[in-house]
Amino acid sequence: MIIAFFSGEENVSAFSQEQLVWVTIVAGFALLLGVVSITRVSVNSVRQKKKDWPYKIVLLVFLAASTIGAVFEGTERGTVYDWLFQNMNAPMMSTMFSMLAFFIASAAYRAFRARTIEATILLITATIVMLGRVPMGQVIYSHLPGITDWIMNYPNLSVQRGIIIGAALGAASMSLRIVLGIERTYLGRS
Amino acid sequence: MVQRLTQLLSRIDRRIVFLVVSLSVIIPLIIELPLPIPIAPESRKLFERVEEIPDGSRVILTFDYYPSTLAETEPMSVAALRHLWRKDMKIVTLSTVGTGGPNIADRVMATLAEEFDKEYGIDYVNLGYKANYQAVLLGLGKSIRSIYPTDFYGTPLDSIPLMRDIDDYGAFEFIYIVSDNGIVDYWIGLVNAQYGIEMGAGVTAVMAPKFYAYVRAQQLIGLLGGMKGAAEYEELIGHKALATSGMGAQSMVHIAIIVFIILGNVSFFLGRRKS
Repeated sequence: MIIAFFSGEENVSAFSQEQLVWVTIVAGFALLLGVVSITRVSVNSVRQKKKDWPYKIVLLVFLAASTIGAVFEGTERGTVYDWLFQNMNAPMMSTMFSMLAFFIASAAYRAFRARTIEATILLITATIVMLGRVPMGQVIYSHLPGITDWIMNYPNLSVQRGIIIGAALGAASMSLRIVLGIERTYLGRS
Repeated sequence: MVQRLTQLLSRIDRRIVFLVVSLSVIIPLIIELPLPIPIAPESRKLFERVEEIPDGSRVILTFDYYPSTLAETEPMSVAALRHLWRKDMKIVTLSTVGTGGPNIADRVMATLAEEFDKEYGIDYVNLGYKANYQAVLLGLGKSIRSIYPTDFYGTPLDSIPLMRDIDDYGAFEFIYIVSDNGIVDYWIGLVNAQYGIEMGAGVTAVMAPKFYAYVRAQQLIGLLGGMKGAAEYEELIGHKALATSGMGAQSMVHIAIIVFIILGNVSFFLGRRKS
């Protein structure tokens, strides 16, 4: 793929495209492997009546319903899969995610303390951004959105750039280690 | 007196915290607060760029999000779609999220298609989902047909009028990403960097700080951050909808959290002074 990108030669390019198609096919089978794996683990839990085994039955029933529905009927509007997704999966996932607001409020009250100078700076900045990112901030103090934009575009941006560049360098060096055979822990070797 | 106050402030039951958060969400949803929506420069840039795209152009609109973040991301998709269809653009949607991404796209597109009198296959196409997003994003740059031989409904691309003369990114003027995960990095790194196609993104509020760097580097034309970003876009297109009505609730929850932080710190300092 690297050669295809730089050479632009037609045969190399076609070969590279073929590899990409194969990657999507193999990835599809990896998803299937995940389904098989979760089925085996859940069936074993139910058989051995392990902790929370009744929940595994619910999982297996809906896994079977959505899989059978999708295989025989497809996934578009009006199908069993789509009904399960729109009316059960989506509301449940949204509910789980929205519960974060309650836990964040509780955790902020208990843990967000100005114990040190650094914590105080973080606390003040967070308060400004929290207010500046909602319309009420404009009502409280008309310059708050501007101050928030400045925080996001200067201190935040410089730190984010550092993180992005650091992570990219880390990923590149790790890839090189794997390609050169120096890094073998992913194969279970030391 | 101080001791009692310290004790009172440091022992607020979490059920009270939960109740206050609940009321902060519910009350503003029932009694709408008339709040101004200040527009962030990043949202305005995205809006203005889309305005500059010639009417009738072809655009990719992605639905790269899980149903858990629908409250933030769906209003963005709806506002973006409304803007794009007002300019009569031809839209190709796809999703790199298997868990329902194409179904969300299907529902949103169909609902707005009815409103704008758009026809599937002529005005828009839903390509659906394919596994392994890196391979998909790279592969689409060479041949859309090899990655997506059929659309979401299993129709071969060659029999879809809109797709007949489209086979790579070169056919598109712009990519409008709506996402709740790290896929935006790959859109930028694999598609913007290699194929040079312009893109803008709408992301969840927690993700937004990271992408300011890409906006400044002009790898992203503009950025919508969270429900506020969606509300800003609704304001810009002049169609206030779900995100705008959620701004009151979001404002009140933020204020409630700040009040709890202040109460926690007051009790912390009073307690420390005592000891």
